[in-house]
Amino acid sequence: MAMISVEGLSKTYRVANKQPGLVGTLRHALRRQTTDVAAVADVSFRIEPGEMVGFLGGNGAGKTTTLKMLSGLIHPSAGRVEVAGHTPQRRQAPFLRQITLVMGQKQQLLWDLPPRDSLRLNAAVYGIDDREAERRIGELAAMLELGDELNRPVRKLSLGERMKAELLAALLHRPAVLFLDEPTLGLDVNAQARVRQFLAEYNQRFGATVLLTSHYMADITALCPRVLLIHQGRLFYDGSLAALSARLAPCREVRLELTTILPASSLERFGTIEALEGRTVRLLIRRDQLTARVGELLAALPVADLEVRDPPIDELIGTLLQQGVIG
Amino acid sequence: MGRYFRTLRRFWGMALASEVEYRFNLLIELVAVVANLASSLFVLSLFFGDGHRLGGWSWPAALVVLGVHQLLDGLTITLLQPNLTRIVSHVQEGTLDFVLLKPIDSQFWLSCRTISPWGLPPMLAGLAVIGWAAQRAGAPADPTTLVIAGLMLLCSAVILYSLWFLIAASSIWFVKIWNATEVLRTLLTAGRYPISAYPPGLRLLLTVVLPIAFLTSVPAEAILGRATASWLVASGALALMCLLISRWFWRFALRSYTSASS
Amino acid sequence: MRRGLRIARVLLSTQYALMLEYRAEIALWSLSGVVPLLMLGLWSQSEAGQALGLGATGLSRYFLAAFVVRQFTVVWVIHAFEEDALQGRLSPLLLQPLQPLWRYVAAHLAEQLTRLPFLAAIVAVVMLVHPQAAWWPSPRALLLTALFTWLGFAVNFLLQTSITMLCFWSERASALDRLLFFPYLALSGLLAPLEAFPPGVRSLALATPFAYQVAIPARLLAGEPVAIGPALAVLGAWLALLLPLCLILWRAGVRRYGAMGA
Repeated sequence: MAMISVEGLSKTYRVANKQPGLVGTLRHALRRQTTDVAAVADVSFRIEPGEMVGFLGGNGAGKTTTLKMLSGLIHPSAGRVEVAGHTPQRRQAPFLRQITLVMGQKQQLLWDLPPRDSLRLNAAVYGIDDREAERRIGELAAMLELGDELNRPVRKLSLGERMKAELLAALLHRPAVLFLDEPTLGLDVNAQARVRQFLAEYNQRFGATVLLTSHYMADITALCPRVLLIHQGRLFYDGSLAALSARLAPCREVRLELTTILPASSLERFGTIEALEGRTVRLLIRRDQLTARVGELLAALPVADLEVRDPPIDELIGTLLQQGVIG
Repeated sequence: MGRYFRTLRRFWGMALASEVEYRFNLLIELVAVVANLASSLFVLSLFFGDGHRLGGWSWPAALVVLGVHQLLDGLTITLLQPNLTRIVSHVQEGTLDFVLLKPIDSQFWLSCRTISPWGLPPMLAGLAVIGWAAQRAGAPADPTTLVIAGLMLLCSAVILYSLWFLIAASSIWFVKIWNATEVLRTLLTAGRYPISAYPPGLRLLLTVVLPIAFLTSVPAEAILGRATASWLVASGALALMCLLISRWFWRFALRSYTSASS
Repeated sequence: MRRGLRIARVLLSTQYALMLEYRAEIALWSLSGVVPLLMLGLWSQSEAGQALGLGATGLSRYFLAAFVVRQFTVVWVIHAFEEDALQGRLSPLLLQPLQPLWRYVAAHLAEQLTRLPFLAAIVAVVMLVHPQAAWWPSPRALLLTALFTWLGFAVNFLLQTSITMLCFWSERASALDRLLFFPYLALSGLLAPLEAFPPGVRSLALATPFAYQVAIPARLLAGEPVAIGPALAVLGAWLALLLPLCLILWRAGVRRYGAMGA
């Protein structure tokens, strides 16, 4: 039996068109003009218990809307959703005890108090007795490498520590389904790796189902064998990450800082020029040619600094969709 | 039910823990209680020079009304204001989502989340004024009167809560609702005086449209042992109705919240 | 001088545009000022009100005038300043070659301008309900009302700004400001005309800045007698005291703000 099953899920928003200024306000008051915007359109998928699935897509692609429909915060306009045998939008207690939602840019911990207070509160709300709660806090804190931080006011914690404490609070009731919306947003590389490692371990130990969105390709590569790719509300790809990444990111981005300004003509032979602004150049180079090209480039050009990275996901998806590589 | 009590204990324990940091507050709040009481007593006394009466009420009887108002003011500071004004920031910051995903009634969470100790002094002052004035006015102190008075005070607290909650819940649509609660507080000052002291038009407005009569005058009548059965029934029915409306309104607001963008 | 005029014009017009954005809230604020109209209901019905010797029209005019002038003497600088300081918007203002307090003065004047239409609407409604209360003040009365309302506003603004400056030392400055509200309620004439006060309290009220927020300009507008000379003397004394105090506190406060590295 699938843990999450979604069929023909759609969400349409009615957006008012208002011209700016006083005249616009008056005109709007007299005759409302609205447009329907489809945030999510006819999305279907199934996720089995214990799976870790990555949810990819650019800003405004419909990832967050879908996660909110799955957790019952937004009612779908059409389609059917079932999570852990429940209809999310009813938000019945037995359903809520089985899920959790973590949002990287919002926090549920109380700012002025230590995380431990928020944890005790959650224990009461979820009806976990104090001994059991202490045991779970100990276990999760060890996995997250949290110690004394739990007794310091949240405002005194670093972003990474705060995120780990958020995760602890969100997992205290041991949910079977985790919805994670950008859980590593804004964290430094070390903290990102720590959170990633924790999620993998949690999934292993408790067999929880995880649906994760992230801006960082590294999160998805490390955690999710399977990915869903959504763009403009539509599901474009559902399958293994390996197959997608070969298509999605055949190139890497090489960012150069030159000591002098060079014309585009002298750079073209190393790769596709993405941007050229003064002495800063961004080139796309195919993965299989990367080492060779970078070697040539260092030998031929006056390079002050060089950085190789994955191009941002949303830009890539945009360009690839235009080229018809996927879809 | 036990889970709700345990949650409530945690809620309020945490709230008090974070308030202890401001000890200077205690001094200011105590001065505020005395100043508030002195200024409202002074203004009320202006109506009672030369043996005058106000709307048929004697000076001690009118003091009971003032005492009830003070008591409700304390309740507002203790529970209503700290909790219900927070709904706005939950909506603005999007943290309402976390509340909705907890397996606990969201209206309970939002209404009882925190408690402020600073409403306690006005409440005690209100009780003291009520006790002293009721005795001076010759109110009967038998158990029946006390029970009825207690019930009427409970009804008025429920009505006040519902009014506050309705306004606070509309922050789901109108984010800048803070002003509206200020307007409500201002209009509630009308409850410092017996309802029969107002001209007929205002009296009707303050009974039917904004039920201020039921907030202070009706409980005061009950305390003085002269409430009629019809008022008591009306007050109970109104309290129940207001509470049900507040629940229905919250469901309606949530439906709109969950079908709208965020 | 020409630079000053230009700054004043630009400040006022931008603040006015800003306030227009908040027109819904400002309308609500005007509504929260209806307390004098409630008090009119009480006084016109009560035995004490009839004993004042003002007559029904006298009372109506006084409270209507009180409602109007109060809209122009309300000061909220402490809330705006506190928020600016908390949000860190203060530092850039300190770098500009213009005393930041002028900005708040302009904001208040612009907000009063925005209130005007709502004010007119409420006055029109009261006139329709109470046509016998309508009157047309003489040009002299209008000029004097404008002068005294403005002076009253200036004193109130300086008083609140002085307390606002304590924000630099304590987080509880707004609580201190709240304490001033109680003597204001008792002595300003918002809830009772000066005639109702016992003689001793009346003299006290006339020596404080509070009576000049409501009672004095309202009497002028309603065409009641006011001793202009002594009133100007008291206002002048308060201005002479508060203006230097305010500036000293401002300097000390800014120095402290800089020392804390904000």
